[in-house]
Amino acid sequence: MTEPSTDGSDVRYYCTAGNGMERFLIDEVKKKLAAQHVCQLPGKVLFSSSAGIDRVSELKAAERLFLLLKQDSPQWLSAHASPAKAASLLQSRLLGDRNQWACALMTWSRLQGELTGRGRAVNPASSALGMTRKTEAGKKNEEQKQKEERYIGASTKSARERREEEEEEDRRLSNVEQSGMKTLEKKSKREKEQRGIEGVKAKESKGEEDKSEETHIEAQTQEKKRKRGDEDDDGDEEEEKCVKKEKTSDRQSRTEGEEESGVVMAFNSCRQNAKTPGGTDERVLQPVLLQPSSVPVSFRISCKCTGSLSRYFSTQEVSKMVGVGLSRLMGWKIELKNPQLEVNVCLSNDDCLLGIPLTRLPLANRSYIQTTGLRSTVAWAMASLAEIQPGFCVVDPMCGVGTILIEAAQEHKAAHFLGMDNDDGQLLKANENVKFAELGNRMHLLKASSMALPLPSASVDAVVCDLPFGRKFGTKTSMAANLPLILAEIERVLRIGGYLVLLLSPQLSCLLKKLLSQKETSMTPSQETKPATRIQDCPATSPSSTKQQTPQIHQDVNSTPTEETDPPPHLSSLKHQTTFRVSLGAIDGLIHKYVKIDT
Amino acid sequence: MKLLTHNMLTSHVKGVTKGYPLLIKATEVKMNEVEFNPQFVSRMIPKLEWSALIQAAEELGHRQDLPGELVPDYEKDEEFLKMVHRVLLEVEVIEGFLQCPESGREFPITRGIPNMLLNEEEA
Repeated sequence: MTEPSTDGSDVRYYCTAGNGMERFLIDEVKKKLAAQHVCQLPGKVLFSSSAGIDRVSELKAAERLFLLLKQDSPQWLSAHASPAKAASLLQSRLLGDRNQWACALMTWSRLQGELTGRGRAVNPASSALGMTRKTEAGKKNEEQKQKEERYIGASTKSARERREEEEEEDRRLSNVEQSGMKTLEKKSKREKEQRGIEGVKAKESKGEEDKSEETHIEAQTQEKKRKRGDEDDDGDEEEEKCVKKEKTSDRQSRTEGEEESGVVMAFNSCRQNAKTPGGTDERVLQPVLLQPSSVPVSFRISCKCTGSLSRYFSTQEVSKMVGVGLSRLMGWKIELKNPQLEVNVCLSNDDCLLGIPLTRLPLANRSYIQTTGLRSTVAWAMASLAEIQPGFCVVDPMCGVGTILIEAAQEHKAAHFLGMDNDDGQLLKANENVKFAELGNRMHLLKASSMALPLPSASVDAVVCDLPFGRKFGTKTSMAANLPLILAEIERVLRIGGYLVLLLSPQLSCLLKKLLSQKETSMTPSQETKPATRIQDCPATSPSSTKQQTPQIHQDVNSTPTEETDPPPHLSSLKHQTTFRVSLGAIDGLIHKYVKIDT
Repeated sequence: MKLLTHNMLTSHVKGVTKGYPLLIKATEVKMNEVEFNPQFVSRMIPKLEWSALIQAAEELGHRQDLPGELVPDYEKDEEFLKMVHRVLLEVEVIEGFLQCPESGREFPITRGIPNMLLNEEEA
């Protein structure tokens, strides 16, 4: 389906996204990439854009980015009773014609070339070679590369020239820049010995967790959370695996010269197939192409089957079917360990997608975050809801390691971000994060309690906050009991018209709705003094607590017989605007957005 | 702690009505060079309590030529914006205290981060 895109023409991509993040991603691709033909599948967003790959690969709401090879309707998949017939039909439907693959490979390699300088490409060395020597976009890529290397650092390029032993170390150094890479590094070593097309998944999710012990508890927990998330989220499952594999393939291609010329051969043949214009420079490159070794493009299938189809075929069977078929069709070589190319096949009741990953690391891994807190995509989504403008003062009263503010500050250069937390350890990490992201000019930290903010009333333009769910950190006092006070403080410091964006657990979300709706219906202060009773009937009776609410009540709730004598907080000026449910991995979170109105 | 942050902070000790601006007693002050963003500075100026900024800069001995009154048309005055930028973002109190002007309560600043936590009886 991918057009033999020349510069400026549309390329069709798809991104995976966490559950509930699709709408944010749709908005983002439309706004930042002027994307067209945007379409949503569960956990995925498909779009076409002519924007440069550097901009596409900077999407913030997406998990992984793929070049779309083929999108087909899934209906036909379940209609055949005979396995042999079904298999043959499936294979031909999935593979399609030769030209399509040739074009896709070309587009992929062009995009890889453009990404190479940024160190994000799947396979920088070989693709750079394929690109800079081969395609008509070569010149442009060179410029792009040089421009980008100036600030990314020449790690990719220089590493290529070093010996293999050094590369190992070098890569580690450059990878420090990438968030979450420390654990991946270990993982990749560990799993190098024991991997196949499939079946690594189970080991991974278990084995990885004990490997990450040395990293900060914060990061570790997040990693675990992510892991679980990947099991839940459609399509995300493969992410980590791909990352590791691509890392190794990266090294392989750097050290094997013969393979590189093989790539050039393949690129050449696909150019001819695609009959793209501008092939005049091919003659110049003939000598290179005719050099020894006719190693073809190596690839691996990464497959995920769910729904009715999985009753007919196992994931392994489909992988094999497509792999063998593709090998026969294109003359490409199946290479499980260190392929140059990975073909992702995703078959479910909702969709049938084939794609090639475009970046080595998930887009959700931020190069500018050292210690990960909240999932970066969700943090970004929250920041985007706060409608930050130049000159704004944005406060996170429980900032943790500062993820939300960092995501916000990345996009808003003329706003002031103030993070507060009452925990020294968190603040320390947040401080390191601020330095690492070089945001010291606009993001500042202080130690304070969310129940007593040291700020004047109506002095803040937006408040963003991930209210602790009580899972990661054992809070001494109950969040449920403190919620009214926290909200009262937030409300006090917000100016009229200012936005509040909160991330809450389902339980707290329910409690908050209850608190605010009570406030709306009755202003009698006495009703505010017994939160415990209200919480308990909340899941059962609240009309706003939809089916999504889990029946389990927050543990802390029962232990809060509220001896609070303070006057009840006044919540009425916070007007609810929207609620989004997003997956945080193990559990879901609810993003509430409020605006402070003049009462 | 940068003076931009200081400019926002108030003492919130129970019973205090005029907890602003906090007095600064610094034992370690650092000058950090920070990238100059004129748009950021000119957007922040209208939000500042100018007199509190002057007072804080003076306490730290970094007022330099900063005028007591905000100059008109400061958006176009790059020299002025740079001056404000220095005081707001480059002067950093690493160690010391902030003091509530009314109650005298001291808030320690450690490794550049002010601790504004209150005891239970103060809140």
